[in-house]
Amino acid sequence: MTPPAERDVKTMGRPPADPVLSLSGLTRRYGTLTAVDDVSLHLATGARHAVIGPNGAGKTTLLNLIAGTARPDEGAITLAGRDITRRAPARRSRLGIARSFQQPSAIRELTVLENVMLATWRHHPLRPGAWRRPKRLRQLAATASGQLEAVGLADVVHQPAGALSHGQRRLLDLAAALAARPSVLLLDEPAAGLTDRDVVRLLRVLDDISDDVAVLLVEHHTDLVAEFADTVTVLMAGRVLVSGPTREALSHPEVRDAYLDPVATAADAPASDSDRKG
Amino acid sequence: MDVLDAQLVPAVDGVAYGLLLFVVAAGLSLAFGTAGVLNLAHGTLYAVGAYVGAELSDGTWGGLAIGLVAGTAAACAAGAVLAAATAPLTRRGHLDQALLTFGLSLIGGNLLIDLFGADERPVRIPAQLDTSVSLLGHRYPAYRLCFIAMAVVLAAVGTWVLTRTRAGAAVRAAADDPQMLAASGISPRLVHTGMLAAAGALAGAAGVLGAPIIGPGPGTAENVLMLSLVVIVLGGLRSLWATLAAAIGVGEVQTLGVSVAPDWAPYLLFAAMAAVLVLRSRAGVLAAPGGHGADGGEPPKDPAAWLRRRVTAVVARGRSAAVRAPGPAARAARRAAPLGALLAVLVALPWFADAYSLSLAGYALALGLLAVSVTVLTGYAGLPTLGQTAPFAVGAYTTALMADAGWTVGPVQAIAAAAAAAVFSALTGPAVIRTRGTTVLMVTLAVGELTGTAIGQWKSVTGGTDGLAGFPLSRPLWGSGELLEEGDLYLYALVVAGCAVALTLLLLRSTAGKLLTGTRGAEERMQASGHPVSRYLLLAHIGAGALAGVGGALMVTVQQYVSPADVGFEIAALALLAAVIGGTTSVVGAMLGAGLIVYTRDWVAGSWPGHGPLLLGALFVAAVYLLPRGLAGLARRPPDHGEQRGAAAERVAPPEKARAEQGVTS
Repeated sequence: MTPPAERDVKTMGRPPADPVLSLSGLTRRYGTLTAVDDVSLHLATGARHAVIGPNGAGKTTLLNLIAGTARPDEGAITLAGRDITRRAPARRSRLGIARSFQQPSAIRELTVLENVMLATWRHHPLRPGAWRRPKRLRQLAATASGQLEAVGLADVVHQPAGALSHGQRRLLDLAAALAARPSVLLLDEPAAGLTDRDVVRLLRVLDDISDDVAVLLVEHHTDLVAEFADTVTVLMAGRVLVSGPTREALSHPEVRDAYLDPVATAADAPASDSDRKG
Repeated sequence: MDVLDAQLVPAVDGVAYGLLLFVVAAGLSLAFGTAGVLNLAHGTLYAVGAYVGAELSDGTWGGLAIGLVAGTAAACAAGAVLAAATAPLTRRGHLDQALLTFGLSLIGGNLLIDLFGADERPVRIPAQLDTSVSLLGHRYPAYRLCFIAMAVVLAAVGTWVLTRTRAGAAVRAAADDPQMLAASGISPRLVHTGMLAAAGALAGAAGVLGAPIIGPGPGTAENVLMLSLVVIVLGGLRSLWATLAAAIGVGEVQTLGVSVAPDWAPYLLFAAMAAVLVLRSRAGVLAAPGGHGADGGEPPKDPAAWLRRRVTAVVARGRSAAVRAPGPAARAARRAAPLGALLAVLVALPWFADAYSLSLAGYALALGLLAVSVTVLTGYAGLPTLGQTAPFAVGAYTTALMADAGWTVGPVQAIAAAAAAAVFSALTGPAVIRTRGTTVLMVTLAVGELTGTAIGQWKSVTGGTDGLAGFPLSRPLWGSGELLEEGDLYLYALVVAGCAVALTLLLLRSTAGKLLTGTRGAEERMQASGHPVSRYLLLAHIGAGALAGVGGALMVTVQQYVSPADVGFEIAALALLAAVIGGTTSVVGAMLGAGLIVYTRDWVAGSWPGHGPLLLGALFVAAVYLLPRGLAGLARRPPDHGEQRGAAAERVAPPEKARAEQGVTS
């Protein structure tokens, strides 16, 4: 019975003083199924937070609620102190929430560069009037190709996006999300279906994300989570099972049961031996 | 009480009418829901049944029975033919299938006229039924009561088969998850064929039995198709009860409504439809109002959300065109070459064509603008439309009315027509842009059709079905003379169309075109990148509407006459065909397509009188089978390395396509 450790693991890790993104009591039901059940979460600027959980735990629904493609039945979402619960996805994007998709879709007919230019279009400070000013358009293109270089797609910028491989398309999706210069970045299983080499590259890209961006990562790949995230929330059947610093959260007995992965085992469990209820 | 009493007969008529529509619409809805075919030939299947039944019914019970069997069998066979024709296209999407069925319906309609003549057929029913019975003190035709009973039996049997038998379970499974069904050993192809054949049989039986209510004639197919589409849009595809409620609602509007308020009944359908569309476009979570649509059909369930989930895919052709740049100038020249060649031919035309050909060419330009506006919506915005004839009509009537009022300067007419059509499109747009895929086809079809109805009704302004004629000729500029000569008219039309096309090309090649392409190709991504996608689509809809309005203005200027037939469903389908012939993303292709259509319909058909629809139908079929990527696909260079790579990537990992297909079929 070590109350401080238990509090660390079980509570929300206490809301940071000035969270950039706050979810309070989010609930989303689909018929009789409650996909997301009373989830609260606070992300500080620069946070690296991962959401893990078994299939059907409500991870992607949670992401969709934040991005605005799904509406919560209850609860509120605030971005930098501003209530965005009822805002449309596009509006949220302009307010600073960017996301990647589990199944990324690119505009196949357009080149990779044009894809990213369109992604940065609504966010770039030079946008006003850019469509009729070639100079500004060039600057937009330069920004976009810089972004593509950062994710390692420099050599395919002029290819049509339809010609990209699966891994490349994920990176393009990531570049499109980053091109929006977000304050909150939502990543939906960015490593799914990637080869080991691509995962290494992805990790490098994620490490390079600037410190003023709060990242919320939904991922199955626990290696990636352990490597990347500072804090972890574990969802189970829509509810928060545990939330806290990465090591503690991953070594929680129920989480280990669910995942049985080397990281949690290696971390062993001085903090998690306390039996918890529910 | 007197009022109620007087309306009893039309009210019972409405039930009979509604049940007839229900049986027909149920087949259409099932074929769409399970086989994924928006069967625009469904009305023709009804007509097949009706003609065969009318031919064989000689006033005896035996004749009626033989007619019923033969009519049902004939329509069932026609349905099987449709299934065989559409099966190879299942991978190509709904638009191609819908066009193919429309082409086949043109051919079928023409063959029916060849076989049975162009007149309305009298229908003879057994003498015992050809009397009237007393119904609460009113004389009422016995046949109709009998029909109500038969339709109820038909509907009950159909529902029983669907919900209680193994075949019905397979059908419902096909609607829900065809891949799962295929995995359990039932061929989707079999379900596809069976479903269309069964829908044909239903329509055929309805045609035989319903012939005394909606009799066989040249307009039957379209009439039945339209009303059935209205029923399934109102009732949605989710439950047969909703379809039934909607069908009876539409039946009552068509009978009771006409009897109570003859001036307003056609609008009643329109109002119910518009109300449903607007209600649906508000929030996908519309609680089902319990009221059954006896007043014209409220939405008993919310099928829009269901459809949206089903048809998330935008009907569009994924293309991985190889961009191997041979320098910007050379590329520009290569892209401009077909346009230049076309322009040269068009400008030279007056010097070697006769007056008739010139007036056809002028009309083709007007239709071409309509086709370009369809291309903008279908190819760029991803909203396949059958309703651009509505803004086209607004432009046409605006022009005719202006000319009548003495405003004869052509460019002023064209601009006013564009403005009126733009306003119209801004008003109808919100309902259209909330939907995707085949639903757009249906919603726009409803908009176009009901606009046509409104035009036909509003006699004081539009001249009703007679149309408007005899207004002063247009003049190209202030103070210049009237456009009397065919050649002058044609050149004027060419200049206006050229300006409109140039402006469209300029806009589409700019960032605006890319934003639209992005919206069509990756809507979620665009939204997540902060693009107000709905606003783009609405603007595209307005712009396309304005373009169609200019087309309408040109048509009136060229033919100096306008009637509802010029802006009807067939023209809408022709415009969509022109866009598809052009390759759906090619503006020049759409103009060429329109030219080809006018050439086929009015020029080639001249040497085989009475078979214009047949030739057009053949053109539809040929275009769908032979030009999967349109004329633009022919102009494209053979695949080089880059494209092969693209194709390979597509085969290995086609997320959008795969998802699109799932969205369509699951």
